[in-house]
Parts: sequence; structure tokens; C-alpha cells
Amino acid sequence: MSAASRPLSPHLQIYRPQLTSVLSILHRGSGIILALGALLVAAWLAAVAAGPAAYLAAHGLLNSWAGKTLLFLWTLCTFYHLCNGVRHLVWDAGYGFGLPAAYASGKIALGAAVALTVLAWLL
Amino acid sequence: MAEFKLPANSKIVSGKTYRDATAARLRTVRVYRFDPDRGGDGDDNGNSNDNGDGNHGRNLPRIDTYQVDVAACGPMVLDVIIRIKNHIDPTLTFRRSCREGICGSCAMNIDGVNTLACTQPAAAISGDIKIYPLPHLPVVKDLVADLSNFYAQYASVKPWLQAGEPAPGRERLQSEQQREKLDGLYECILCACCSTSCPSYWWNGDKYLGPAALLQAYRFIADSRDEADGERLAQLDDAFKLYRCHTIMNCTKTCPKGLNPAKAIAEIKKAVAKR
Repeated sequence: MSAASRPLSPHLQIYRPQLTSVLSILHRGSGIILALGALLVAAWLAAVAAGPAAYLAAHGLLNSWAGKTLLFLWTLCTFYHLCNGVRHLVWDAGYGFGLPAAYASGKIALGAAVALTVLAWLL
Repeated sequence: MAEFKLPANSKIVSGKTYRDATAARLRTVRVYRFDPDRGGDGDDNGNSNDNGDGNHGRNLPRIDTYQVDVAACGPMVLDVIIRIKNHIDPTLTFRRSCREGICGSCAMNIDGVNTLACTQPAAAISGDIKIYPLPHLPVVKDLVADLSNFYAQYASVKPWLQAGEPAPGRERLQSEQQREKLDGLYECILCACCSTSCPSYWWNGDKYLGPAALLQAYRFIADSRDEADGERLAQLDDAFKLYRCHTIMNCTKTCPKGLNPAKAIAEIKKAVAKR
């Protein structure tokens, strides 16, 4: 059998999801959502500049049930990306690589993101 | 571009079921099988044979199920698959040698994580024991994956001591502190568990060196007797070779020797930044 026709062993399909890899893909995912959210902010600012009618329309849209859900998830992404970003900064400085430390920092980043999101929406 | 789905020739189909001769304590073991010498679908004679299941007579990998009497063999997963080979199905193919966690031959994906079959107790796994070859590699046969690229990457980091000066008349001595820097690095047995657990290595394994080769690179960078740090760091300072590491930490999580490739890679990144 030629080497080229060898099958590829399964990877994503079989590898057990764990905190390490799940938080990593969430970091990337939340980053992508933040980039899309930046477009939303730009659209909102454009509406502000376009005058009261456009602003009211944008305001109504964002204050709708769907708009609020979107904003809530976006806040969560912001805080998660921020907290996990700090975690990456610490790693880049060369600290926190032990498995217990990496798991603790991961749980802290996740908890802090949820807490900050709730706090931001209550205040 | 990362390809998340398995190619058409790698789709896994269901296989046969085998049962041990004795049944004191049966456990179900599901094993990835691929026989390169088999012909098409359902044909053991090398003839193409399309049975209309949509796979066009392709020779696809399959999952075979074994009912193994674990009371009749040793405690480790390697003992279980040796039991299968010796008593149930002699065609099962896998690599093994030392059976004590020092050769790295029996590295495979067991219960969803990469580890050495010889140091993984079967009793620590709940439910069926699922065994696959190391992830995202070309499969030679059954649990034997092609590690050529992995070894070539290891060779590319020049894993030997380099000194420019003429050899002294005696050994190159190290202080205790200098020697201590190699702890957690020299123990690597190159089993490839870490590299093949790394999603970044899955998507860019042709250009990214992966945690094992990078830990080995750092083993020589950290060695006080090596004088080629400059060239080593210059070679590694590359968007793919080194910087496809996104600190996912699957490598450290999976290392059967308890080493920390992620930490070694971070040390290389720091050394490159300071250079």
C-alpha cells in the first residue's frame, strides 16, 4: 500500500475534551465574536452620528429581547477573553505551567468572567 | 487551513466482535483496526467489492470489539491487548517493547487521551476500553501510526551537544545547578503522546515542530555544555516552527512521564525574545 493512501487516524472525533483544550478554543471563539461585536459598536456609533431617528431605531433594536441577549453574550465574551488573556500574559512571563496551577487559573478565569458579566449587568 | 473532518478514506466503519475463551471477568475493548493488505469492503482477498453501502468498496478502518477476560491477564491496557493478540485475534498489530514506560513504543490513544498502554491500568478506565492509534497521523496498520515526520522534526533540532572549541583533555564538567536545569527535560522518551495530543500540531504538523521536538530543542538550549544556543534560537524563531504553540496545554496534560513541554516551549519563547 502506498504511503499516500494511508488513512488518517481520528483526532477531534475521539480526543477527550478537557479544560486545557476547551478554554483554549473558547478563547479563540470569544475573540472572533469580539471582532464581530466591534462591527456592531461601529454600527451603533454610525447611528448616533446619523441623527435621532437612526439612533432611536438602533436603540430599539438593541433594547429588544434578542438585542439584549446578544449584548449579554458579547459582555460574557469580552470578560472571558480579558480574564483568559491575563492568564496567557502570566504564561508568557513563564509562570503557572504546572498542571494544578493551569487548572486553577483556568477555573479562576472562567469564574471571574461570569462574575464580571453578572456585575456589569446588575450595575 | 485546518481540516476538521476525516478524509473519505479514513471514515471508520463498524467491525467484528470477538469473545475470549474464558469469561471470569469480561471487559469490552473497542479497537481501531486498519489492514492495508485488505481489498475493498468486506473482502479479504484483495478484490474490490462494492456492497452498496455508499463506501464504494473502499478499504476503510473499522472498530472491532473484543470481550476480554481481564482476570486472565496483567493489569495494564498493554496486557489486555497482548491477551487479545495471543488468545483471541493474532492479526491485531501494535508496537510494544519494554512494558515499563521507558521505550515509548506502545503510545496510543486510550479512553480519549494519549498515553502508554503499559503504564495505563485497565481498572482506571470506566466502561468500555476504547483504543485508537495516536491522533492525526497516517495509519500503517491497526494501532501502528507513521511517525516519520515526527522523527524528522526531532532530527531538525539537532539533538546533540555542539561545541565550537576544541575538546578539552577531560570531561566537560557541570555544576549541580547547571545539571539541575536538565531535570524534566532529559527524561523525554519521544513517545509522541504530547505532539499528537496538540490541536495546533494536528492542523499544522507539517510546519509546526510540536511539543516533543521543542522540548528536546530546549533540552540542548538549557545545557551549559552546548555552545550553539544562538543558532538554535535563530532556527526556532519562526512563525510556524515555534509560534504555532498557543499554550493549549494538552501536551503537559497528557505526558505519560509527567514532563512539561508547554513550560519548555515558553522558556524557548522567552529566550528568543531576550536574544
